[in-house]
Amino acid sequence: MRPDLPAIHEIWVYLSGSPLLALILTLAAYQIGVVIYERTQLNPLANPVLIAVTLITLALAALDMPYATYFEGAQFVHFLLGTATVSLAVPIYKGLPSLRGRLLPLSAALLGGGATSIVSAVLLARLLGADETIVGGMYAKSLTAPIAMGVAERVGASPTLTAVFTVTTGILGAALGRFVLDAVRCREWWQRGFAIGVAAHGIGTSRALSVHPEAGAYAGLAMGLHGVIGAIVIPWAISALR
Amino acid sequence: MIDGLVRILVFQGIGEIVAKFIVPLVPGPVIGLVLLLAYLAWRGSVPEGVELVSAGFMRYLGVLFVPAAVGVVLFWPHLQQQALAIAIALVGSVVATVAVAALAAKLLSRSGSDAP
Repeated sequence: MRPDLPAIHEIWVYLSGSPLLALILTLAAYQIGVVIYERTQLNPLANPVLIAVTLITLALAALDMPYATYFEGAQFVHFLLGTATVSLAVPIYKGLPSLRGRLLPLSAALLGGGATSIVSAVLLARLLGADETIVGGMYAKSLTAPIAMGVAERVGASPTLTAVFTVTTGILGAALGRFVLDAVRCREWWQRGFAIGVAAHGIGTSRALSVHPEAGAYAGLAMGLHGVIGAIVIPWAISALR
Repeated sequence: MIDGLVRILVFQGIGEIVAKFIVPLVPGPVIGLVLLLAYLAWRGSVPEGVELVSAGFMRYLGVLFVPAAVGVVLFWPHLQQQALAIAIALVGSVVATVAVAALAAKLLSRSGSDAP
């Protein structure tokens, strides 16, 4: 007999009241996602964020844990988004020399692509009858997720929907980009990489990196520049149009 | 590494303050990013600690937006109802964006080929 041992439900009550459970759940689910992603030779459809979100959603349903309780613990991970955004300055700084001699085509690709991503998504969604909550989630979806969510907060859109649409856009861009680039007969690696980075941010960049180092470098630069310029222009444009 | 984290957090703090009091439309961390970029350009190199912290964040960027993305459970009925519109908008938009960006880069490159 071990009368001093607490009953299992007491352990459970204790654990679910601390941030630890949500943190373990978040990191473990993401780690499983990374392992699967690596096992599938970095297939964009096996995206670690997508896998982690699916696993955590299932776990929350199984544990009967409300999202608010989960987020209370997971907010410690969430808080680092801002810090990660600031540290994006380093890859942008390192990529700047690649702009030399190509400033005109790259600026045109960035501004043209950026405008196309927001206008086409908003118009298509409205045309097909999506409500304004959904349309709001489309505004920043081609920016890198940490910046996109910051922009969403500023323009009164849902950061959650923005995160989901952003990740989906990244996966779609990484999976379909090659076919679109071939269709428009774009053959230079730097142009291909940059176009993917403008449209599909970080997920597109890891895809480009796995195909060709030059494409990867330009994709990363496009993701960084689109993030910064989008964060400055999109809120102004949206508040001006309202 | 701590020195790098301190520098990045200080830039984030300055960015948040500038956003709060001067340019409320731009997210604070993005202003911090721009200020850090200016600092790196002025310095002409990336301090070792900043480099380390940044590399860590870039490697595991994905995990940071998992907590917010899990909030999709709250929107589930909403998303299911409008799934078709969302799917068409996202696919159409990403295809158009890649095409426009690639064409713009291609057409504005001198002579269309980079062969030396």
